[in-house]
Amino acid sequence: MAAIFGPAANLASKVFLLLAAAALPGGMLLWWRWPKTDYARNRREAVAQPVPFSHQHHVAGLGIDCRFCHASVEVSSNAGLPPTYTCMTCHSQIWTKAALLAPVRESLITGIPIVWRRVTDLPDYVYFNHSIHIAKGVGCESCHGEVATMALTYKAKALTMKFCLDCHRNPGPRLRPKSAIFDTKWHRTADTPSPATLLGIYHVPDRNLTDCSLCHR
Amino acid sequence: MSSLNTRSDRLWRSLEEAAAEPGFLASVAQEFPQLAASLGKPVDRRQVLKLMGAVLIMNGLQACGSKFGGELIPAVKIPPNIIPAMPNFYASAHVLDGYASGIVVKHNMGRPIKVDGNPNHPASLGAADVFAQAQLLDFYDPDRAAGLSRQGIPSDRASLEKALEAQRSALSGSGGTGLRLLTGTVTSPTLAGRIDAVLERYPEARWVSWDPISRSGVRQGAALAYGRPLETRLRLERADVLVAIDGDLFDTDPGRSRHARDFSSRRNPSRTAEMSRVYAIESTPTLLGSVADHRFIAGPAEIIGITAAMADLILGSSAADSGAAQGRAMAGVPPWLGPMVADMKAARGRVFMHIGASQPPRIHALAHAINEALGARGETFELIEPVAHMSGRQQELRELIADMQGHRVESLLILDSNPVYAAPADWGYAEALRQVPFSLALSRRADETGRSATWFVPRAHDWEAWSDARAYDGTAGVLQPQSLPLYDGMSELELLGRYIESAPADSEAAVRATWQARMTGDFEIRWREALAAGVIPGSASPTSHAALRAAPARTSPELPGGGADALSVLFRADPSLWDGRFANNPWLQELPRPLTKLVWDNPLLISPALAHELELHNGDVARLSIGQASVLAPVWILPGQARHCITALLGSGRRFAGSIGDGQGVDYTPLLALPGTPKLTKTSGHVDLASTVHHNLLLETPPEILRHGTLAEYRANPRFAADSDHEPHLYRTVPPGPAVWAMSVDLNACIGCNACVIACQAENNISVVGKSEVLREREMHWLRIDRYFEGSATAPQSFLQPVLCMHCEEAPCENVCPVGATVHDAEGLNVMVYNRCVGTRFCSNNCPYKVRRFNFFAYGREQYRPAESWNPDVTVRARGVMEKCSYCLQRIAEARIAADRDSLPVGEVKTACQVACPTQAFTFGNLADPSSAVSQRKQSPLDYAMLEKQNTRPRTTYEALVRNPNPAIAADLPPPAPGRAPA
Repeated sequence: MAAIFGPAANLASKVFLLLAAAALPGGMLLWWRWPKTDYARNRREAVAQPVPFSHQHHVAGLGIDCRFCHASVEVSSNAGLPPTYTCMTCHSQIWTKAALLAPVRESLITGIPIVWRRVTDLPDYVYFNHSIHIAKGVGCESCHGEVATMALTYKAKALTMKFCLDCHRNPGPRLRPKSAIFDTKWHRTADTPSPATLLGIYHVPDRNLTDCSLCHR
Repeated sequence: MSSLNTRSDRLWRSLEEAAAEPGFLASVAQEFPQLAASLGKPVDRRQVLKLMGAVLIMNGLQACGSKFGGELIPAVKIPPNIIPAMPNFYASAHVLDGYASGIVVKHNMGRPIKVDGNPNHPASLGAADVFAQAQLLDFYDPDRAAGLSRQGIPSDRASLEKALEAQRSALSGSGGTGLRLLTGTVTSPTLAGRIDAVLERYPEARWVSWDPISRSGVRQGAALAYGRPLETRLRLERADVLVAIDGDLFDTDPGRSRHARDFSSRRNPSRTAEMSRVYAIESTPTLLGSVADHRFIAGPAEIIGITAAMADLILGSSAADSGAAQGRAMAGVPPWLGPMVADMKAARGRVFMHIGASQPPRIHALAHAINEALGARGETFELIEPVAHMSGRQQELRELIADMQGHRVESLLILDSNPVYAAPADWGYAEALRQVPFSLALSRRADETGRSATWFVPRAHDWEAWSDARAYDGTAGVLQPQSLPLYDGMSELELLGRYIESAPADSEAAVRATWQARMTGDFEIRWREALAAGVIPGSASPTSHAALRAAPARTSPELPGGGADALSVLFRADPSLWDGRFANNPWLQELPRPLTKLVWDNPLLISPALAHELELHNGDVARLSIGQASVLAPVWILPGQARHCITALLGSGRRFAGSIGDGQGVDYTPLLALPGTPKLTKTSGHVDLASTVHHNLLLETPPEILRHGTLAEYRANPRFAADSDHEPHLYRTVPPGPAVWAMSVDLNACIGCNACVIACQAENNISVVGKSEVLREREMHWLRIDRYFEGSATAPQSFLQPVLCMHCEEAPCENVCPVGATVHDAEGLNVMVYNRCVGTRFCSNNCPYKVRRFNFFAYGREQYRPAESWNPDVTVRARGVMEKCSYCLQRIAEARIAADRDSLPVGEVKTACQVACPTQAFTFGNLADPSSAVSQRKQSPLDYAMLEKQNTRPRTTYEALVRNPNPAIAADLPPPAPGRAPA
């Protein structure tokens, strides 16, 4: 009677056993790593917008300040998005015929706003306030990344609760001098005041910055 | 009911509790009575496994969704003064039956999201009543009529304009013969001007001013006493003795918020030198009666006799005629009358006698005479020139109906009035309307009248058009639009203008023109100041110096017929729905009525004795008939109701209110204004009535919950209510943060008006759940007002206590949460982290105050309101999440951020309930600052902690209630003889 299993079956069974042994840790690894991937967190993925606005061109190229468009960032929880009128301050003079800017001109003519797609989003139960972070020396770049290098805007940081807490637990090293808050290329150098000095300059209050009630309400 | 013999040393909420019925006690002893129904029907194992599998899959599906977080829509051009996510505030006024109360509307990105009172306005002083606050939902109501219609068929403005043009030419020819205007009370100077202009243009036209909740008794009474319908401006802060007969000072009086504020300034003996004394004599419990020092129950007929007897004692026997003598015989001169009148006389010049608006004119006239005789005029009240507009060409509604029936009405213009529903059915308005060739109804919705008139035109909401209105003291304010119109509505001013000319001045120009003629100085500046402040300075009605007309006022009233045991029915405004105009407002429908705690319903309120006589229980359906007309309605037994008196609340049973209000409750209008003796008979029916009276019941001993005493006890020992335990505490008691938040609630101030409950609901995005869910004890209000009784079932004392999260320092809820979803923060707040909550409900189980609310369903998603009407600063809670009072954490956060931004100590924070409260019962603030208001209130000798023995160290404490009974009466106030109480 011929053998039921040929010699190749030895190999197949070994491979199967190895795979079976790898499946459990592999699955666990996937379970653990998957939510942390850029894909799952929407990081580094440019969002299609009605107008392919380039921060790189406007900020790095032309040197426009963040606050020219995001005007309420220092006073309100919401940084604000530029109204059509802000775009048209320049684009009524330059690139007046550009096809790319047709939606902006149309918005001005019809009075119907441009609908942008959100790039950075926090869950509805998180209440982030831009103004207090700016006032206390947190730069735009700390959360939004190097926007000045983005041809198309994408989410640069994880913006998970851990991301927030890392800073809230030890804010000093993340603070920067007032002149560098809107500078997305700034990096800590030897001349930068120490974290303790910065905490003092900004009067970072002596409160528990990890209280749930600070962000959740 | 097994027994009504209650122990006087107990607080009780309902007769079932007072009688300690075993079945009732067993049901409330359960932690989650709402689960009893499900636990009674066990599910088999297979079913459980199936459901668990479904839950697993659906939870997985919930994780699916769009990868990107939605859209951002910036404005094309940002209007001036609008900063994203920063609120704007605009003053306006809320007008109810003509009288205005100042409001300030909070806007988010141009959309109204909250209504507060206007501190500049004399009728508000910063407080806003439930109607003013709830008009937010009326504004956003998806059921508001979107377009005009002619005989039920959608039409357009051009056709309306053509029809109005035909009207103009026809009426011009005939001098306005057959033209009638029907409105409510009008105080708006601009609208009054337009009405006068129409009457001038058409000399034969007539104007009818009619309100379902009538104040004509007050006006006619003043006319009897003074020759003209003068109005009164009260100075309750000066009244040492206040006597209210069938009082509606806090319920329906046009100045109710202001009266409550003035009244409360004399009620806390730790802050006022001389505490006032309040007597209430009434047939059905009112807000004033429930906080009075003495509340005497008298049937409607007895009240007339009592007033006549008081007139005898105060004005001298010359006032007495046969009617008064008869009255005295009937009332039997109750033993308390003498001491009360002596008290009134002793407080000469510091006394005020108030008569409810539903009393007949002669009673009002008598009260004017009594007040004058006691030297009250100029001291505790002033007479002022009439605030409501009047004209020599006015007609009563009944005269109008007669004209309509006699085909003498050619053209009827109904402005924001709904007589087809609200007028007494017996008058036959609805049938008479069919005889009118041209009728036009300008209504908020396609309501009963709107559907019966030839033309229906949607009325612009007060926030969509310009107008003006005067307050109870005559102070005028401008109503400015808060938004562009959501629907194609028309204002009264615009429509009346079109009756005069084809292109009248628009409403803004008309209102400006009114005030341009009356303001001095640079008009543009004055106008802008008036808009910003919400009031026009110096516009209050002048004091009248009219002298009392001796003869007519002293005529005693006639007594109504019927014997002492004859039933009587009182028709009153619903505390939430008024005359029915708010029936489509879910906040108001689900607002527990102050004294019954009923929601979504309006049963007949009957006395315990009558219930015993007819063997009626709560929810039993009875037939109430007067003559041929009858209505089937459930009954609710209300302790403190006069024995043979039935109260029917108007405003329910609407047929065309909208999807929320249609068919809710019972319509009593078929019984209105009928002569004859009412009869109540039991039927076999029973309906479940949703009342929150037993929900969140605390079964501890009374001093642990609500402490109260008399002024004499307070004088003997000011700290009679103080906590006993002052030992140093072993564990942390002072939070480490820079601020320590706390609240003090003054029980002496609370009048139970519910303004705080609606304010909390609006501020904190609290869902409405509907009647069936309330029956399962799932209402979501974070702040409730508990109402307790003490004493006998027929004539109990009542007490009110607002209860909200105590933010315990040693919070029992925190210890049992398995996921750390409810934790303490560094500023002493007991915070609820919704995104951590998994819905075990252990915290609610362990909360001794029963202030936690659970989202059994995704109530937040199912609310009948657009997304932009929510408060953007507060999470809309998801299904399966616990929630509770957060001390308005969003307001604390806002103050904290503003202070930190400028590196200053945190400033004043006011919670929503505190702002809305007309009597300033709530004080909130930073306990770490010894100069803060809350620190000072906590120093009050009356300060005590609720359920102090639980050792929870609550941050919300109460100031004990002190009442000021007349010693001469208090001595002989035993509960009524047992024979009167059913056994």
